[in-house]
Amino acid sequence: MSADQHPFQVADLSLASFGRKEIQLAEHEMPGLMAMREEYAPSQPLRGARITGSLHMTIQTAVLIETLTALGAQVRWASCNIFSTQDHAAAAVAVGPDGTPDNPRGIPVFAWKGETLEEYWRCTELALTWPDSDGPNMILDDGGDATLFVHKGAEYEQAGGVPSPSNDDPEEWVIILDRLRNSLADHPGKWTKAAKAIRGVTEETTTGVHRLYEMAKAGTLLFPAINVNDSVTKSKFDNKYGCRHSLIDGIKRGTDVLIGGKVALVCGYGDVGKGCAESLRGQGARVIVTEVDPICALQAAMDGYQVATLEDVIDKADIFVTATGNRDVITADHMSRMKHQAIVGNIGHFDNEIDMAGLARTNGVTRTVIKPQVDEWTFPDGHAIIVLSEGRLLNLGNATGHPSFVMSNSFTNQVIAQVELFTKREEYPIAVHTLPKHLDEKVARLHLDALGVRLTTLTKEQADYIGVTVDGPYKPEHYRY
Amino acid sequence: MPVMAGLMRRFNDTRPFDGLRIAACLHVTAETAMMVRLLRAGGAQVSLAASNPLSTQDDIAAALAARHGTAVFARAGVDRRGYYRHIERALASEPDLVIDDGGDLVNTLHTQATALLKNVKGGCESTTTGVIRLRRMAAEGALAFPVIAAHDTAVKRLVEGTCGTGQSVIDGILRATNTLLAGKTVVVAGFGPSGRGVAERARGLGAQVIVTEIDPVRALDASLHGFRVLPMAQAAPLGEVFITVTGNRDVLTAEHLEAMRDGAILANAGHFDVEIDVRALAAHAVQVHQDVRPHVDAYDLGNGRTVLLLAEGRVVNLVAAEGHPPEVMDLAFGIEALALAWLAGTVSQEPGDKLQPGVHEVPADIDAEAARLVLATTGTSIDALTPAQQAYLDSWRIGS
Repeated sequence: MSADQHPFQVADLSLASFGRKEIQLAEHEMPGLMAMREEYAPSQPLRGARITGSLHMTIQTAVLIETLTALGAQVRWASCNIFSTQDHAAAAVAVGPDGTPDNPRGIPVFAWKGETLEEYWRCTELALTWPDSDGPNMILDDGGDATLFVHKGAEYEQAGGVPSPSNDDPEEWVIILDRLRNSLADHPGKWTKAAKAIRGVTEETTTGVHRLYEMAKAGTLLFPAINVNDSVTKSKFDNKYGCRHSLIDGIKRGTDVLIGGKVALVCGYGDVGKGCAESLRGQGARVIVTEVDPICALQAAMDGYQVATLEDVIDKADIFVTATGNRDVITADHMSRMKHQAIVGNIGHFDNEIDMAGLARTNGVTRTVIKPQVDEWTFPDGHAIIVLSEGRLLNLGNATGHPSFVMSNSFTNQVIAQVELFTKREEYPIAVHTLPKHLDEKVARLHLDALGVRLTTLTKEQADYIGVTVDGPYKPEHYRY
Repeated sequence: MPVMAGLMRRFNDTRPFDGLRIAACLHVTAETAMMVRLLRAGGAQVSLAASNPLSTQDDIAAALAARHGTAVFARAGVDRRGYYRHIERALASEPDLVIDDGGDLVNTLHTQATALLKNVKGGCESTTTGVIRLRRMAAEGALAFPVIAAHDTAVKRLVEGTCGTGQSVIDGILRATNTLLAGKTVVVAGFGPSGRGVAERARGLGAQVIVTEIDPVRALDASLHGFRVLPMAQAAPLGEVFITVTGNRDVLTAEHLEAMRDGAILANAGHFDVEIDVRALAAHAVQVHQDVRPHVDAYDLGNGRTVLLLAEGRVVNLVAAEGHPPEVMDLAFGIEALALAWLAGTVSQEPGDKLQPGVHEVPADIDAEAARLVLATTGTSIDALTPAQQAYLDSWRIGS
């Protein structure tokens, strides 16, 4: 495949001016990224960086992309979810601030809302395929798909071929194997070379971080990684406050159902689940939580939520939300026993929390598309449930994901992590790292002015008394906030 | 108590109760003492009886009698006979106006002291329970004079019921038991203004709150606020703390007691001790351990389970804590004093203009005046309608 033939691939370039207007509005709400541009534009720390991004192609991501280019980077981009692209954002990024739809001058972006799985992995491969070079030298990942593709490509090149899929492999894995098989045939050695050139990956989300730690533990990680997810200003803010905002937005845009008085079940009480439960309660729902971890379960109970098992309440809840990061949380059998018109949605990163394939295989079940990303599934006995975004993360599929201000926090971490990995290679050996606390505090500091926050400064005596410096870091590494 | 302090200055000048005798039946607390002083500042001669056998603060009663020249008939822990004798003695002053809290004084007037009725020009009732009794009396034509339902104003429902009762009931339960509410299942019976306040505050402390209701509107209100709404029979086996806030009897009965978990805590926040069927509890118990902590009796039900009854099933916020905080009583008594002064002003009116016997609402302008006095105490300023805005609201001609 030649990337030259595809300078970019988006749904509709004519959406670019609308996208540009929204980008300008978002820039105002993303003070951290704008401060990065101001601080680093003169020194161009990312000059020479070829960054492949695999991250939801939204308006906020457009501000991130243009921050990376403002710092000197070249960028190629794909979305990390088939439904999460905002087509006007993708168009504006392809056209660029100085281009027009007739003369696009932006960056190569391969993303549109409603990709097939085949198209999705082709876009990922295109973003990883750099004309006139061996590939990216940096990856900015969300969920780890770009990292996975490079690692599997290199692994199969070493092994001398791509294995055949087995019968119970998920559909998506079969597609990945097919794509790698073609790639190995057309460009032997491509992924081994790419992996060698990559200085590191910065990973956005819990799921991708989990994959990275697994690889590091198994000794298969090929380049250093920075775990951006576990920066406090990412996980606490993006996961909790972002999901608190966008979960109910997605449910309402999808169904317009009154949340007050409903019984809402939230599976998982991590940072995401905590935000989800809080916003559902704030709208007047009676929230029940399921958990596997006794600490999180106790937290939920102490916060006044009923903690039950899914079996206890399967026929009682009106709204089901999965926020676990695990697979097989809601099964087809569960869905068959829910109340008529129960709403089912997932806000975890992958679509394996709700068994959609199992639902589709259920005898006699029929699917009616109400509107994009809202399906009614009717069982043979006549009762039906409403599934949002086909079991993929509904806050992005049915709404517009996290708001700009929240994303400014996590993306400022991303920019700092990219600069760290690209410019300080000797400080980051092959392993999974987190950003030092002073940089985490810096991200927060950059967002205070916009909210009118007046921060108190320690006196020297006070700083000495608690054993920190006046400028921080203020907390030990293990502090949990 | 800034509202009453402001009224004290006003009444010192205007003397609305000059030459009038007022008999009051109220919980004898520091706030009531302030009310008595306010009425006296307005020119009244006051006699006071307690409105609950357990709620009297004896030091306050003594101070009122000794220092402020008021006839006080109240003692903590008095028995039932003594309680009613105290009310009769307060009535012996032949009052022109009465203030009641629960309706026992007005009831005694109409049953035991009917000779005094002709002298009474009117009164105020402070509680929902009392107002319910008065409306029944009025419906039967038995109520002989006009009574202002001083409990039932928009401002009081908010400040006293939701905020005052909500806070002090939780306070009483915590002081009596020191139990952690976070993670507990708390059943609140009744979602009126006070029940709502209790439910919201229990939730704020991290409890899972279940509401029981008989009124579909209030049940819907609770449900839309995210509370689980169940019949008591279904809530009984789930609850760890039960709080009755209904104003009705037999809310927790033998049937419910049998279903309860070991260690369940029972508290009543309603005015009377009829909401929890204490007799059924005693009958079911194989053993009662009294005062395992102050105001906590442990009833061993013989089925391996023990339930804890707080304050003998009487109003828990007054028995186990200190009742409403002063700010709440400041407003409540402020409204009552304003209403009573208005009532005193009607005494001299022509018979045709007089308020008829029956239960009457507090006039809206008195309620608004009370809200204004409270706002002033917190230094809160509010906007006033412009003449153009007022004209717009008054007109039916202006549309889109």
